Amino acid sequence: MKHERRGQGLSLPMLLRRSLLHRRSRTLAELVSLTVSAAVATALLTLYASLDLKLHHQFRAFGANIVITSQNAGQPLPPDALAIALQAAGPDSRVVPFAYAIAQMQDGSSIVVAGTDLTGARATDSWWQVSHWPENNQATPVQVLTGVRAAKALGAERFSLTYNGKSVPLQTAGTVRTGDAEDSRIYLPLDAFESWTGVTPTTLEVQAAGSTRQIQAVLERLRLALPGSNVQAVHQLVEAEANVVSRTRSLMLSSLVLILLTVAICVLATLTASVLERRRDFAVMKALGATQRHVGLLFLLEAFVLAMVGLLCGYVLGCGIAYLIGEWNFHTAIFPVWRIAPQVALLNLLVAVLAAAIPLRILRHLEPATLLRGE
Amino acid sequence: MSVAATRPETIIELRDATREYRGHAGTVRALDSISLSVSRGEWLAIMGPSGSGKSTLVNLLGCLDRVDAGSVRIAGKDINTLSRKELDQFRAETVGFIFQQFHLIPYLSALENIMLAQYFHSMTDRKEAMAALERVGLGDRAGHLPSELSGGEQQRVCIARALINQPPVLLADEPTGNLDAANQQIVTGLLRSLNQLGHTILMVTHDPEMAQMADRIVELHHGRIVAEREASLAPHTS
Ligand SMILES: Nc1ncnc2c1ncn2[C@@H]1O[C@H](COP(=O)(O)OP(=O)(O)OP(=O)(O)O)[C@@H](O)[C@H]1O
Ligand SMILES: [Mg+2]
Repeated sequence: MKHERRGQGLSLPMLLRRSLLHRRSRTLAELVSLTVSAAVATALLTLYASLDLKLHHQFRAFGANIVITSQNAGQPLPPDALAIALQAAGPDSRVVPFAYAIAQMQDGSSIVVAGTDLTGARATDSWWQVSHWPENNQATPVQVLTGVRAAKALGAERFSLTYNGKSVPLQTAGTVRTGDAEDSRIYLPLDAFESWTGVTPTTLEVQAAGSTRQIQAVLERLRLALPGSNVQAVHQLVEAEANVVSRTRSLMLSSLVLILLTVAICVLATLTASVLERRRDFAVMKALGATQRHVGLLFLLEAFVLAMVGLLCGYVLGCGIAYLIGEWNFHTAIFPVWRIAPQVALLNLLVAVLAAAIPLRILRHLEPATLLRGE
Repeated sequence: MSVAATRPETIIELRDATREYRGHAGTVRALDSISLSVSRGEWLAIMGPSGSGKSTLVNLLGCLDRVDAGSVRIAGKDINTLSRKELDQFRAETVGFIFQQFHLIPYLSALENIMLAQYFHSMTDRKEAMAALERVGLGDRAGHLPSELSGGEQQRVCIARALINQPPVLLADEPTGNLDAANQQIVTGLLRSLNQLGHTILMVTHDPEMAQMADRIVELHHGRIVAEREASLAPHTS
């Protein structure tokens, strides 16, 4: 029978369910605004938490932040300088040696050749536009990376160069374009370079990771370890890095606050409307003997249920948004940061409480006498 | 009449009750020191032109509102001395409301609307609620939502809801104001049988014929009682 279907006992959960289902579109609107609030909080906090890491990672792409040279310009560094620098800089840093010499092409004109750790350079100078990095260090002829202007001057892939009367055959494995001096140079593996020219590195490029303070510490250690050398921070880069990170951080924090405020106002408007819409229902309940607590509880539980569902949906959505933002802006994935979940929950609760305050006030001041008066 | 022999117990007593509404355009004195007493089991009709204070009076008697001056005693209790919470409790136990607009909760079935009154009063009892619904002749509509019921049927559900907690006083503000003649007949019949069962009824009405069903008629004008008389056809003598 029909009344059997609806005739079960009366309980708070049942009243809640009926009320939520009865006003489907209103419920959905409330749910959407609470979901958005949770999603925004999640996405921004996830980004915020991952920001340091991602930005430092980005800055690595701009190359070295410390340069070590001999005290007399152009003179080679002590032979053990590379090993000492590697030790002092620590495992999170990269150290790439560079040695330079001027060799002669077959037509007699000069060209700068450089010996380096090609693997290290590839990691450090990731902004170089390279067609193909030489992979085999042991091959004959020696595989080299040729600047685009040098390649044009040479005209052929296989060629030989002469230094101090000693001639070696070389082969271009790929070209490099930076728009700078690198375009006119030829890079070959340091071992091959040293055994050909006998020239040792004059420059070590160090890429230290971490905050400004951490970089400063690496700098101090290197200065202590290599007292006879010139250890210098690439200052502009280090300061720019710190600046950008702190500015981006405060930008995100203030937009988080603004967006959450906006969302709180939306939720407030929705909840207020939902109380106003039903003030007669609540007034009837009061006339039937419902206490202030009954009515307040009914409304708060409704808001709480919606806030929890919104929180769950919003958290998932927010993690997705953070992931996509990371993908588009940093070309790296940003994964959910679990430790922000309590913060998101707290923020959402705060939004819900703020938004429920005014409707609750309205509920408390509901006058059944005025609302239920026969017209 | 036999009633005169033993002086009936007074259930409601108003003494110099005044109620004023303060609005933007000044103060309206809706009730102007009214004194009135109602005996247990009496059926009182309240009449008067629109704006004369009928609803204000009913709200005071229903503990939905408080007086600005004077006193209201219901079932021996001075309403002014009750806290808000005590008043809520007192209202649930003492007064049943029958509204002109029915005011059923739209997402609850007829039966559940009745059970809601039980819920806020003490505990729900499905059988009892069903019996109340049957008493108003709607036993077969228990599962219907208010939107699936006619105006007359909704008013009958409202009456069943007002009765479910056995309140000594029933308040009806224009109970038939929204009903056609046939439904008015049904509702009037229900009120009469309730009165015969011993319920005290305070009823606001514009309809003189309906007012004649009551024991006594009180006429309000500008917040004052201007006339008070026995109804010509006292139903309980027939
Ligand atoms: N909440 C209120 N605020 C201000 N004035 C009010 C309020 N409620 C009622 N009044 C005024 O008090 C007076 C009495 O109102 P009340 O509702 O008691 O009249 P009534 O006799 O029930 O009229 P009707 O037959 O039209 O229902 C009216 O002048 C009305 O305008
Ligand atoms: Mg009225």
